[in-house]
Amino acid sequence: MVATGTWITQPVAFTSYQVTLGRIALVGLVALGLTAVILMGELDLSVASTLAVAGVVMASIDNLALGIIAALVVGLLIGAANAFLVVVVGINSFIATLGMLFLLRGLAFVISDEEPVRLSNIDAGISFGKPLIGEFTPRILLFIFTFIVMHLFLTRVRVGREFYAVGGNRQAARDAGIPVRRRIFTGFMISGLVAAGSGVINALERTAADPTAGSTVLLSSFAAAIVGGILLNGGRGSVFGTLLGATSLGILQVALTLSVVQVDVQNIIIGSVLFIAVISDPNSIRAVSGSVRSFLRGGSVLSKPSVDPKEATNNG
Amino acid sequence: MTSEASGEATTTSEAAARTADLGDRGGADPDIKRRKLHVLEQMANRGIFFFTAALVLIAALFIDGFASLENITDVFHRAAPIGIVAVGMTFVVISANYLDLSVVAQVATAAVVLIGVSNNSNIPMAIGLALLIALAYGIVNGVAVGVFKANAVIVTLSTTFIGLGLLRWASGGSIYFGPSDGPIRSFGTTEIGPFPLSMIVLVVIAIGLHFLLNRTTFGFLLKSYGSNRNATRLAGVNTALVVVGAFLISALGSTIGGFVLAAFSNTAVSAMSSGFDFEALAAIIVGGTSVFGGKGSVLRTLLGVVFVSVLTNIMVLSGLGFGYQQMAIGALIAAAVSVDALARRAAGK
Repeated sequence: MVATGTWITQPVAFTSYQVTLGRIALVGLVALGLTAVILMGELDLSVASTLAVAGVVMASIDNLALGIIAALVVGLLIGAANAFLVVVVGINSFIATLGMLFLLRGLAFVISDEEPVRLSNIDAGISFGKPLIGEFTPRILLFIFTFIVMHLFLTRVRVGREFYAVGGNRQAARDAGIPVRRRIFTGFMISGLVAAGSGVINALERTAADPTAGSTVLLSSFAAAIVGGILLNGGRGSVFGTLLGATSLGILQVALTLSVVQVDVQNIIIGSVLFIAVISDPNSIRAVSGSVRSFLRGGSVLSKPSVDPKEATNNG
Repeated sequence: MTSEASGEATTTSEAAARTADLGDRGGADPDIKRRKLHVLEQMANRGIFFFTAALVLIAALFIDGFASLENITDVFHRAAPIGIVAVGMTFVVISANYLDLSVVAQVATAAVVLIGVSNNSNIPMAIGLALLIALAYGIVNGVAVGVFKANAVIVTLSTTFIGLGLLRWASGGSIYFGPSDGPIRSFGTTEIGPFPLSMIVLVVIAIGLHFLLNRTTFGFLLKSYGSNRNATRLAGVNTALVVVGAFLISALGSTIGGFVLAAFSNTAVSAMSSGFDFEALAAIIVGGTSVFGGKGSVLRTLLGVVFVSVLTNIMVLSGLGFGYQQMAIGALIAAAVSVDALARRAAGK
């Protein structure tokens, strides 16, 4: 499905590969960080706000280097806070990071006084948007760099490989002596750090940090990770899949923009892609085929009473 | 003026306490083993009554302008649409499917359809169309989650974007203004004492849903599904129908919430409902419905709505901006869920 979509749209998007690459890089970077968390069967919805907070923090500190460091530290702290809620308190990661998404969005507004913060060092921002090597802007180079690091981390480093074990079967991982809690902490901190990094890049390129940044990134980055074939239950997936997902989505987006499709329609299309991707993973297919089989075998006895009250409310 | 104001506040807290009593009786399990409850469990079970009462008391005593008839009516006006959304969404939360993010799109769609379509044709047509859209939302979300076993957060995230995209595309993102008189306007402005008509609608819906949850087979199966979906499925229950039912109720609540919101402001625009998902979730969780599923009460959600609305009102009156309000609600969600999770662990579940 992904391949088909890519092939159909490629001719249009190919002519402007620079724009396409830039688009892929921002969404893809966030999605790469998410990969680490989703591999373990958890979810980090707070990435969108982390991006905004990191950008605002960086822009409100005058010294650029200090600002970047502060933003990245904030990202790590947010990741640690998420992991604390999930691991120590024991809240489901969907709800914990949802609360954080909201809290951090508020924080971004509070720090920035509800207005975009201008970067004090605009020159750095402008030079950041220019191609560094050949056609590649620093943003794309950073994306490629992160991709390689994440790939090596998840396939060559023991800690990274244990992510798969934690996601595949947590109890088995614990029995095998893997420090599951520490791995989850690491995963969330990677996700927070990468999201903060994307926030820094975003703010640098625009030479201003917008507290509302990242609201569309949420949808796209999840779509990228899930289209890329990562199982939400954890244990399966690779950064290559995420790269493929981000690439096909980025190309799709740019192709839609080039063919003058409104933003609203783009949202409809990307939302549909995410919807189809999430209901067509192997677990879902198995669930559906199972229920079809049991339906053919003659339905269930208790299904009838559950219909009546529902219809009653519909009428009333 | 002062004496009148304090009288107002007592009625509110009394009303809240009465609702609370009702909720407790409905939610209590007669078979539960009598034992000394852990302090965290106490907090998760009963905390909301004290917190709401304390918050209302503090607001009445220390916040200038809170305990005036005008302000309290305003709080009710703003609480009603969120409340109607929240009592509907409570069913999704009880089914252990986290939440229905797409209420944002549903509320906006219902509001725009009500004002936009009734301007061009008539009100029954508008209401009928909005209810059809609600049916579509409920079925799409419910089938994706119940039949395809997809994650509810991701499913409703994608339907939010699809729905809002469709709405903006169809409406061109324009603002719709209702006529200055007519049934919609008079519904939105009618007040009985401090209570706007919308608040009465909320209470009626909440009582209806309370009976649906506690006195019908569907409600029983929903709770059973929320606490252990595999056992429920193995008992021969058609679990897909239960999930679709939960999402249909959520969709219905959002649609009526959208009507109420449109009637109050007499305008409708696709961006008018942003934040409804989180505020409704905060109200549900603060009310004591567990995000782990299986346990919850509609009337407690009502109390949670009072808490969240009063908190927001206090912040507005104290001049704290949008950012602070968002932070407070985010922190509220995190705190309430933490108490629930820790209480569960203390109870050894």
